[in-house]
Amino acid sequence: MVQFAAPDWIWLVLFVLLMTFSGVFFYKLGKRSQADFFLAGRGLPWWLPASSVYATHTATDTPIWIGGVIYKYGLAGIWYAFFSAWCAISAFASARIFRRSLAYTQAEWQSLRFSGLGAELLRGWFAGWQVFMNMFILGWVGIAMGKVCHFLFNWPLWVGLVFFSSLVAIYVLSAGYWGVVVADFQQGIIAFFMIIITSIWAVMAAGGPHKITAKLSSLGQAWRLNPFHFTGTFSGDFPLAWFVTMIVIAVLGGFGMGTSIDWYVEAQRIQSSRTVRDASYSIWWGSALVLLRNSFWAAAIIAFFSLFPHLKNPAEYEMAWYVIGFKALPVGMVGFFFASILAIHFSTISTHLNLGAMYFTRDIFQHYIKPDASERTLVWVGRITTLFLLLGSFFYGLMMEELTSWLIFALWIMAAGIWLPNILQVIWWRFNSWGYLAAWIANLGLSWLVVWVLPQFRVIPSLPDYLQFWILMVLGALIYIPVTLMTPPEDMDHLVKFYVMSRPYGWWGPVKKEALSRGLIKEV
Amino acid sequence: MAIIRRKWTPQEAEEWTREDVIVWILSPLSYFLLSVGSALSLFLIPAGFWILGAGVLVTFLLFYIADPKLKVISGEYEKRQKEYLERLERITRWEGN
Repeated sequence: MVQFAAPDWIWLVLFVLLMTFSGVFFYKLGKRSQADFFLAGRGLPWWLPASSVYATHTATDTPIWIGGVIYKYGLAGIWYAFFSAWCAISAFASARIFRRSLAYTQAEWQSLRFSGLGAELLRGWFAGWQVFMNMFILGWVGIAMGKVCHFLFNWPLWVGLVFFSSLVAIYVLSAGYWGVVVADFQQGIIAFFMIIITSIWAVMAAGGPHKITAKLSSLGQAWRLNPFHFTGTFSGDFPLAWFVTMIVIAVLGGFGMGTSIDWYVEAQRIQSSRTVRDASYSIWWGSALVLLRNSFWAAAIIAFFSLFPHLKNPAEYEMAWYVIGFKALPVGMVGFFFASILAIHFSTISTHLNLGAMYFTRDIFQHYIKPDASERTLVWVGRITTLFLLLGSFFYGLMMEELTSWLIFALWIMAAGIWLPNILQVIWWRFNSWGYLAAWIANLGLSWLVVWVLPQFRVIPSLPDYLQFWILMVLGALIYIPVTLMTPPEDMDHLVKFYVMSRPYGWWGPVKKEALSRGLIKEV
Repeated sequence: MAIIRRKWTPQEAEEWTREDVIVWILSPLSYFLLSVGSALSLFLIPAGFWILGAGVLVTFLLFYIADPKLKVISGEYEKRQKEYLERLERITRWEGN
């Protein structure tokens, strides 16, 4: 149990009031239109969505899993969190194309890139999947907060989940995305500042950098400071082959859309930026902060290791950053530390409440239920959906803990088989909606076979995850490439409009030729 | 002709060029160097400061190359944005393409 002194309570109450009511303050802007409630009127300078990217991807469970991999693998563990690097190329490639489409959501983008029945099937699938995904993430992150509060104050799990998510809902319901980004900005500053302070404090508490390196050497653990220490080329649980696979997935994935689960959050930040340039800078700088944050966390966890080198139970070492913050920081700073935990929690919850509501409102309610809905109605549907997602996340967080690990695993596998199609939809004009749909369906069956069924019946051995990725990618291509080539290309008029508007890279020769012949673009 | 082009007409900026490819190489490299450099620097390891310094330089170069083109693309595109937004609304409301 953690005991708060009076200065801790003062910090805490002030920050909760600031975080909650700075969002509510933007109520009048949020209610003006659907574009305001979900995209802040598409008028934000890059640094606001950038801080939102950073704040959203810093959640209560993030220091737990980063703590786990760094304690286990040393500095090389930072590569587990290097997936954010997909923004490196995306910021200057796919983000530009997506921003120019002006689509509210990735679901809506499907109806700009593809046409006809296939496009509608994809739009409906993406919308439903994203509403579910956002509720899933809300429950998952919410219950992590419940666990943190249980660890700190011995509160029942539901208290941390319900109380803090409900506080966040106050400003998301009031001001929509305006509330989200404004609160994220100051939450991002608080969280980044506190992560730096706590990490430096941890290093000093362990005796300083030189003492830590000396201690690691004396323990025969100096390899922990080598970020390229792997367990072998293909052997062990952290081989070089995994690293190479991760680099390929993360970096080349930036040429596509949806190659990372974080894309859907970033897509909203991209569209809320006032220009194409702001959109590019927002996700580049937001992700740069995420990666720098990981390095600071890594230093804190290495310091923790030098103090407690023999912990075997993951439940003990995964909480390292929290232990450092609450045990090592002085009175007054502990309340500030807890406020920063609330900041990282609030920013993630607020984003997913608003994002899930946007998919339902724009892609399901407006597109399929009431196309002529007024702006006022759409804002209200956004609010009601936000409330629905909040309540759903309570039930999900409390009742489906067992399912969470299975779902995280399923998501990784789902990402493997559609990684390449997510790139092809951007770079290859001939890739059509039927090929993309086939990729999604084939991947479900193939991943089930490769990951569970065949190893269970000993037809194939149980494979490491990096190998599963490559196998699923090749097997999936054997299905969706023939499907694409055996079905007609998308309507040329539709493709030309998409090309002129978005100017994608890759293999778009026939479409570019058609656009030139119609005089819609000029040869340089 | 300069190795790195920094002056663009709107039509030229619309094309994907060598400058974009250079940016696609520098950008992940920048992330890579900043991540490793900052982690090692926190332990006062000399190589960490060199790597971090290289990361800052690469980041500067990256934006030096990318920014002029992005500014021109943005300026040109914003002029046509209204028309595209109207089409987007028509598609969502089933009023034609």
